[in-house]
Amino acid sequence: MKIDEKVLTYFESSNSPVDKEGYLYKKGEIKTSYQKRWFVLKGNLLFYKDRQTDRDLVGVIVLEGCTVQLCESEEKFAFSLVWSEPGLRTYKFAAEDQASQESWIKALLSASHSYLALLVVDMESKYRDAVGALSSQPSKPFVMPNFNTIQPAVFVTSNTCTSSALGTASSPNSCPNLQALTISSKTASKKSPKLRSKKNASVVPMFDPFQTIGEYDFNQLHEDYGKEVKELIAMWSKKGHGGANVQDENLIDFG
Amino acid sequence: MRFNEKELVLLSRQPSERAAELGMRGPKKGDVVKKRLVKLVVNFLFISGLMRKRSPIGALLLEQCRVEREDSQTFSIAFLDEAERKYVFECDTEEQCAEWIDSIIKASYEFMRKNLIFYRTEIHRLTGKDPLEQYGISDEARFQVSNGRPLPTVPFLVAL
Repeated sequence: MKIDEKVLTYFESSNSPVDKEGYLYKKGEIKTSYQKRWFVLKGNLLFYKDRQTDRDLVGVIVLEGCTVQLCESEEKFAFSLVWSEPGLRTYKFAAEDQASQESWIKALLSASHSYLALLVVDMESKYRDAVGALSSQPSKPFVMPNFNTIQPAVFVTSNTCTSSALGTASSPNSCPNLQALTISSKTASKKSPKLRSKKNASVVPMFDPFQTIGEYDFNQLHEDYGKEVKELIAMWSKKGHGGANVQDENLIDFG
Repeated sequence: MRFNEKELVLLSRQPSERAAELGMRGPKKGDVVKKRLVKLVVNFLFISGLMRKRSPIGALLLEQCRVEREDSQTFSIAFLDEAERKYVFECDTEEQCAEWIDSIIKASYEFMRKNLIFYRTEIHRLTGKDPLEQYGISDEARFQVSNGRPLPTVPFLVAL
């Protein structure tokens, strides 16, 4: 299978966020010695090159379907990326110190696309709850947007959480897949195939909170939610200008 | 460039957000249209021939790209490095075309990250709590607002 290398190279060199970078020792595939390489983690992709200043990439590791593990090694501060299916690889690394080792492990654990997708759905649910809670207070002057068109993604298997469970339960234990970073990304992708099973053609894609086909712009969304606030501020400032005399009279006189 | 091919092939076999036979052209101008099985898995587009082979022909990373409507049933994916570098996909219907565009845009890791940061910021603003704290990932670089600074530790509520 070919991969479009130009796209990968461009992505690595672009100014998209770098989630972590630094030197690590990587165990060779054929040679068993560890070689020092500069690693750049962006999203679910771990790029590596000989030196930080090099333009050419030596390689990339796509971080989906693997677990991050501490490993037995003659090298200190070692850890590995493990694909457990037969015939698939284990990448072994060694960091320069314990802090670096821990930091890399933590960063790699939260790197997969599946993990981010779960987080986004959880956040979306919490957001709706937060907005809903706000609108139930009678003193609030503006009306919350209508959420009737939003369909949360529904998780079917027992290894995952329904969005309603995520929404109502506040305990961290309610969602094992999002639990602190001991849970591997493998859990999300391997043990929960129904998470992404879309046999029913009418099921909305996992992250589709607003059901709009076509342009989806969450900046617009942000604008919409802020609109009522802006209108209120505009209204209040108008009142302020027009009623300057009234304001003076309202000042408390301590004299 | 080395990459973890076998693991990526395994990924291509995962349940997909979207898969269909589409006419595909590119990335060079003048490439002919070929019917391909196109499958979207996480932020990759896997391209296979119509005969069921063991692995796809190719994998395309869907980051730093521009997805555009070319005409009623055609969309393109252009990569920002070169203007001429474009993959063009022909769908069967307008609706299918719209659905593909929508799915590809939303599949990008960077798109999802922005949404996460948006929700995190809003939840913090509305509730005074950082929703990522319970998962122990508040400090992770990947979840910070775009200016790189973490959320303030003093909770605040917007006066409404």
